Amino acid sequence: MRGRKILLAAAACIALTGCQGRTGEEEKSSIRIGISLYRGDDTFINNIRWELEEKAKEYERRRGIKVTLDIQDAKGSQSTQNNQVERFVSLGCDVLCINPVDRMDASLIIDRAMTAGVPVVFFNRQPVEEDMNRWDRLYYIGVDARETAVLQGKIVVDLYQNRPEAVDLDGDGVVSYVLLEGESSHQDSLIRTEWSIQTLKDGGVPIEKITGGIANWERSQASALTEQWLSEYPDTIELVVSNNDDMALGAIDAMDRAGAEGINVVGIDGTIPGLEALENKKLLGTVSANKENYAGAMMELAAACALGEDLPAAYPLTDGTYYWVPQEILTLDQGESRDFKEN
Amino acid sequence: MIGRRGKLLILVYVVFLTILFLMCSTDLIIREPEKDIYQIAVIIEDSRDDNYGNFRKGMEQAAMELQADVHFITLYETMDADQQMELIRREQQDGADALIVVPADEDRVISALAGGRLAVPVVLLGSGLTGEGTAGIVWTDYRMMGEKLAREMIEDTDENCLVRIFEDPGKRSVMSRLFLEGAKAEFERSGRGFESIVWEGQGPGVANPFEASVVSEAGQTAILAENPEILTEAALALARTADTPEAPPAAEGCIWGLYGRGDTLPILNYMDRGVIKGLCVTDQFSMGYLSVSTAVQVLEGGMGRKRIELDSWYVERDDLRRPEYEKLLYPVE
Repeated sequence: MRGRKILLAAAACIALTGCQGRTGEEEKSSIRIGISLYRGDDTFINNIRWELEEKAKEYERRRGIKVTLDIQDAKGSQSTQNNQVERFVSLGCDVLCINPVDRMDASLIIDRAMTAGVPVVFFNRQPVEEDMNRWDRLYYIGVDARETAVLQGKIVVDLYQNRPEAVDLDGDGVVSYVLLEGESSHQDSLIRTEWSIQTLKDGGVPIEKITGGIANWERSQASALTEQWLSEYPDTIELVVSNNDDMALGAIDAMDRAGAEGINVVGIDGTIPGLEALENKKLLGTVSANKENYAGAMMELAAACALGEDLPAAYPLTDGTYYWVPQEILTLDQGESRDFKEN
Repeated sequence: MIGRRGKLLILVYVVFLTILFLMCSTDLIIREPEKDIYQIAVIIEDSRDDNYGNFRKGMEQAAMELQADVHFITLYETMDADQQMELIRREQQDGADALIVVPADEDRVISALAGGRLAVPVVLLGSGLTGEGTAGIVWTDYRMMGEKLAREMIEDTDENCLVRIFEDPGKRSVMSRLFLEGAKAEFERSGRGFESIVWEGQGPGVANPFEASVVSEAGQTAILAENPEILTEAALALARTADTPEAPPAAEGCIWGLYGRGDTLPILNYMDRGVIKGLCVTDQFSMGYLSVSTAVQVLEGGMGRKRIELDSWYVERDDLRRPEYEKLLYPVE
């Protein structure tokens, strides 16, 4: 009987010690976030990175919790990114924010994170659904590519409905366009292309595709392609539809060099150079994800995962996994941004 | 049937294999030297790391090679010395083995070092720093850099060309102060007049400093920007003036050239486009690498190099593609 009492007392002590340990864990005073970018020279990704750094400082001040961001550039190599993830885990990162190089090949990252028990917030490049379903501590933050494309199409539709001559430059009743596409392996490229063009058709813009090409989101590649098209189809191109701002700027570079004027160019992302081009009336319009909201969602979600807190209510997740960042149209003609109202 | 001798041979073989396994795969017989991972915090004087792109590449390269865990920390507000001292204290408390600091207020950091308030090795970066109490100093002579740039501007321009210096006295780092002192001293020595203008930034309600009405009164003008931020903003304003079709071609006629210091990607792109005429640059990659390697050397009980001086160079657009400058300005990790 006495022995049983001692055993019970010992069990109670162990239970109490266990609880104390948990309390200690809850009072975590610092978090470390490992961030890997698919390419550090991507303008949009850099804009998100800057916003994230600001949000981390803001969080630190507000909560009094030290936030350390380990930001690494994978330079377009999945194996480099895998090594970075390995290093983040070894260095004791509490949570990972990964912008995958190859969205079809996120399994190694997920395996490593699951083994180490480190949650992962993927962003901008969405891993395939099978991978995302493997663990309940995987999240994705990005924009709804279809919504982006519809908004981009609307920029041209609105202009055409108000001033058709501003789009149909030669007045032949057909708007001849060229298309600049992002990487073929990126989920957004195909969706942006498909829905942007569909919106033009649905909006009553009589379009005809002259040509198109993959410029991998890059300004220089887009510039080279556009230069070639301008010489192959002189005085024919009336509209350039680009999957992002960097490629739109590449097209503008080529047009400047060739002295081609009046061609409308639409982009996506609302990057700082893109907005400068908009202000200089070189870009007709762009679609911008709310970068503050984007970075805010990343910071709050990552911090909640790291601290074991409830996920932030301000950023509601779809299916408990996905957060879609709101977007808006930016054009100079409208003078200011407009919120997206239809979907 | 295995004989007694055979059994003995098998036993010897098994023992040999066991010893071999223990030697190769465990630390039991041959102990591998344990490599400590040093925690190093880099605290800069700025609230953003835009000017530290190449520096970070060098820093990360050294961290990989020397197995250091390096944190890069920016301030909430640029040149906020109070916050920097607080961060230095915090990082020390949180277990940093060494600190690398670009001082917002040189005197305060030096006095903390001299007063023994910093218990970990500190490597200082920048210019004009005294060595007392530091583990090492990696620096560039920014005064000499300013003199060098002013000399190039004087050689480049006609003696009637007015020199305008865009300054920001409110947020002036030690590097900017020395750079300006050097440039102004050189202009004075050469008898070349200059005019200081407080840079108000670019944004809504702020006049473009390159618009016709502003520049044409002064005649031909060469512009010197105090720091990379002003240079970037000025280059953008100048490019915008030249790009806007309805604006009078003021910039082309009246602005002889825009000069400054820095090696950020936007600055190099503006130079490539011909918006910036001349730049002074330093080897930021080496600065990052050497600061981390000096800290690791000191942590491993070595002396390190107490004072490492890095040179500065004047570059123009044509130099950007020269291999020696390409390596310097666009370093590959």
